[in-house]
Amino acid sequence: MYLDAVSNTLINTNGSAKTARTIEKKAVFEYWKDWQPSQISHHGGLCCEIAREWITATDFSSLNGDGIFTGPRWLRQKFNWGASRFPIHWCEAVRRDTLDCGALAALAHEVFTVRGVKSSRVQLVQKFSALATSQWTDSWGKGNEPLAWIKDDLIYHEGCAIDTGDKNIKVWDASAGWWVDSKPADGYGALLAIRLSDFNLRTGESFKWGEHIIKADEWLETS
Amino acid sequence: MKIYISGLYSGTNPQPGVGIARSLRTAYPKAKLIGVEYSNRCSGIHWQDFDEIWLQRPWNELNLTTHTEEIRRVLDSGALWISSIDLEIMWFAGVFPDGHPNLLTPSSAALEQVEKPAVPAHEGLPVKIPTFVTTEISDWDLHAFCREHDWKVWLKGPYYEAVRTRSWAEFEEKRHILSNDWATGRLFLQTHVSGYEESIALSAYEGELIDCVRMRKRDLTELSKTWAGDISEVEAEFIEPLREIIRKINWTGGAELEMVRDADDQLWLLEVNPRFPAWIHGATITGRNMPASLVEGATGLTAKNSPALAEEFTRVVMEIPVRSEFPLSPLPEPLGGTIGHSLKHPSGLLQFASRLHNLSSFDEEKSNGGGKSSQFKAPNVPPSFINDLGGLDLTAMETPASLFLENTAAEYFRKAGELADDLSSDALAVTNAYSIKTNPDERLIKLALESGFLAETISLPEVKKAIKIGFKPEQIILNGPGKWWRRENLPDGKFCSIFCDSIEELNRVIENLESGELQTEHLGVRLRTPNVASRFGIPVDTPEVFERLIEAVRRIPKEYKFAAHFHMASSNVGVGHWWHLFESILRWCGSIEALSGRLIEVLDVGGGWFPEDLQKDSSRNFKKAVALIPEFLPHVRRIISEPGKALAQPSMAVAMQILELRNFENVVHEAVVDGSIAELPMYFFYPHRILYQNPQNGGWKPLGRGKTKLLGRLCMEHDIVASNIELPENTQIGDILVFCDAGAYDRSMSYVFGRG
Ligand SMILES: [Zn+2]
Repeated sequence: MYLDAVSNTLINTNGSAKTARTIEKKAVFEYWKDWQPSQISHHGGLCCEIAREWITATDFSSLNGDGIFTGPRWLRQKFNWGASRFPIHWCEAVRRDTLDCGALAALAHEVFTVRGVKSSRVQLVQKFSALATSQWTDSWGKGNEPLAWIKDDLIYHEGCAIDTGDKNIKVWDASAGWWVDSKPADGYGALLAIRLSDFNLRTGESFKWGEHIIKADEWLETS
Repeated sequence: MKIYISGLYSGTNPQPGVGIARSLRTAYPKAKLIGVEYSNRCSGIHWQDFDEIWLQRPWNELNLTTHTEEIRRVLDSGALWISSIDLEIMWFAGVFPDGHPNLLTPSSAALEQVEKPAVPAHEGLPVKIPTFVTTEISDWDLHAFCREHDWKVWLKGPYYEAVRTRSWAEFEEKRHILSNDWATGRLFLQTHVSGYEESIALSAYEGELIDCVRMRKRDLTELSKTWAGDISEVEAEFIEPLREIIRKINWTGGAELEMVRDADDQLWLLEVNPRFPAWIHGATITGRNMPASLVEGATGLTAKNSPALAEEFTRVVMEIPVRSEFPLSPLPEPLGGTIGHSLKHPSGLLQFASRLHNLSSFDEEKSNGGGKSSQFKAPNVPPSFINDLGGLDLTAMETPASLFLENTAAEYFRKAGELADDLSSDALAVTNAYSIKTNPDERLIKLALESGFLAETISLPEVKKAIKIGFKPEQIILNGPGKWWRRENLPDGKFCSIFCDSIEELNRVIENLESGELQTEHLGVRLRTPNVASRFGIPVDTPEVFERLIEAVRRIPKEYKFAAHFHMASSNVGVGHWWHLFESILRWCGSIEALSGRLIEVLDVGGGWFPEDLQKDSSRNFKKAVALIPEFLPHVRRIISEPGKALAQPSMAVAMQILELRNFENVVHEAVVDGSIAELPMYFFYPHRILYQNPQNGGWKPLGRGKTKLLGRLCMEHDIVASNIELPENTQIGDILVFCDAGAYDRSMSYVFGRG
């Protein structure tokens, strides 16, 4: 089996030579379909509890009176986006200068939840360019290992979703500090696939995101 | 077909003329497009799509009668006219009261229905209008509006321009500039709405909506103007009421509804522009050519289809050749000592605005911004002020004199006591405290003592004074960063509360308590929460300091009740923001309780209230606050409320005499008084209500806004105690003015200057 780099098509070369080659379209999320959202661990002691209280109290102060659906962009002001080593504990995370998309999304999810907003984690596949992904490979992996979250011009990314009522969701990109546009797009930075992943969601429960209907725990190609 | 398009300014805050021309060129390749401009500095005159440029003299020079006749001839000849200049559109509505089939602009009746800020025609649309007030109300009330909306307000001109005003000084400065620019005092203040900006652009002819699209701003200029955007369909729930409105007000022309979508998905309508937006060609690129649809609707001539090239558009900066018939003008000389060439409004629109005010066809009453003789309202002054003043013999006083309004002060203290009693329950006691620094006048401290208040002090000399007047140490609260200054004044006995301003101080006070050097019933901390510009309290904006604070709180001996302190001047941060900070503090305190295991039993809340803010629905607001506390801090048994300047501010006034009247064009434009900012140091922070005493009958008259500046007696440039008041006609030298609302920091921070 190999990947046709141009068309992203998986070409099946197994089976009898007499059988016509079957061509099946490989999903853009294929490489990450079994990944779970990143979690921040807790030491079970005061160290992590202080850190968690600090995050949620700072979040409320940072709202400055705005509504609870306001995206917690302050997290991205506080932490740079970059590689994080896992497992990461609360007391470590708050003292880091740099957090990756998974840790930032986990923090955003926590603050939305504490605000009383229904929130769930989301996993995303985004398209960039070979140049962008090679830059990340160099800066994150120091040129050694290929990074699992990068595949050609695609990347695995995390964020969180909030339910704004009637099962309408908005998707918060905690690393960028903006709401992801639900309008289908292709090209640099476009979102190609999304999955709502949360232990509290019932499998098959569906949500409306712009024109899309997203079922909990199921990958959906959006473009 | 000939189409005249006016408004070709093409800077970063452009007019739509060039975009309209580009769109019409796509739809009608053979049409003759004539660009109309009133300044050769508007770079759009060089745009290639114009077959001809009709360059007029700037608005301030233009002979409007001749110009009207020329335009009438143009329209009568069968040419169409699309205007992208708001003021020109208003002027057209006046000079063509019955319209003209070829003039693609709305009538004055239609314009009235979309006037900002109220936009009467918004009924039925799923939008709200942000709260606003006219600046014709008194300064006192304008300040209250700004406080109520946390100083997140925009001061807006009658036609264009909006500036943020974050403080009273900034408001006064910007109001002066805008009023001068637009030759009117009729501006308005509108609350800010946070969110994402989007617009709906439409075309309509004789009351029929032809087309409309939505545009979301996706990139902005420094002035928040569109730089890039995406275009999408307008949903049926919006189109249907919009169609009804367009029909009802019989709209002709383009229009743009500028809106903000907030975090709760609510749309707020900021304004309706009576023309196409400057980004209109961005919609054409997506296949929705609205200028063409307007022309098609008006003439019946089929427009060539505009292909949809994308769903999104952006701008770039382009250099284009200058037409040889309109060579560039030299730059004006910078004014002496200034920076820059001041090229704003090159076509003289500001002057045109003031000319419009003077035209009879321009109905002053109905128009939004016009008016030579605006009616500014004088502030309401409480009758108790006047009663108290009646009991004082001002002739026997040397001015400037500080006046104690005895009954007013007593009444305010009595009401505060009643409110505290009213809010107290078996579970929760509410006690007032008087902050001595607000005004250390003995009469006020005594009133506080008699009204059952505690004394809140920031230094040991203040403690000494409180004790001298009759307070016992157990009725005294110590607070502030320098409370141990002049330690020789430390009294024997147990304080009511000590609030530490730093972790270092908390550790030291714990040591002093353990050694018996100090005694207190409550020991607490003052917190500085994130995003608050304050020098006070323990900053919890890093997890490291927060952790150290938790460790220190855990060390507080169990015999002292743990307390928290929250003071913030609501008059500076705004009333709404004060409540947010209050709730924020409750959350931080809840976290401290949970993490330290120490329960908060006392909460000291206060800060910088204006009497009106405290009284306005005070029982409702305070009940809300008192109800909120147990939700976060169920172990609080006592609330200490420090109403701050709400009690002191109205209790005193400053009387001054007029020393000189200076006339200019038969108006008193300056008056010198014997008072000064030395007696009114808060002049820069809030307006004071001013009373004029009629020398004949001794009656008092509140002064409204006018053209007179009151200059203080000090030889200091900024000693101007009021910059725009209206003195009564017969004002004489020696007449008395009383500045009210001067009993708080005006009094305590007043200084001696220029007295020899
Ligand atoms: Zn830990």
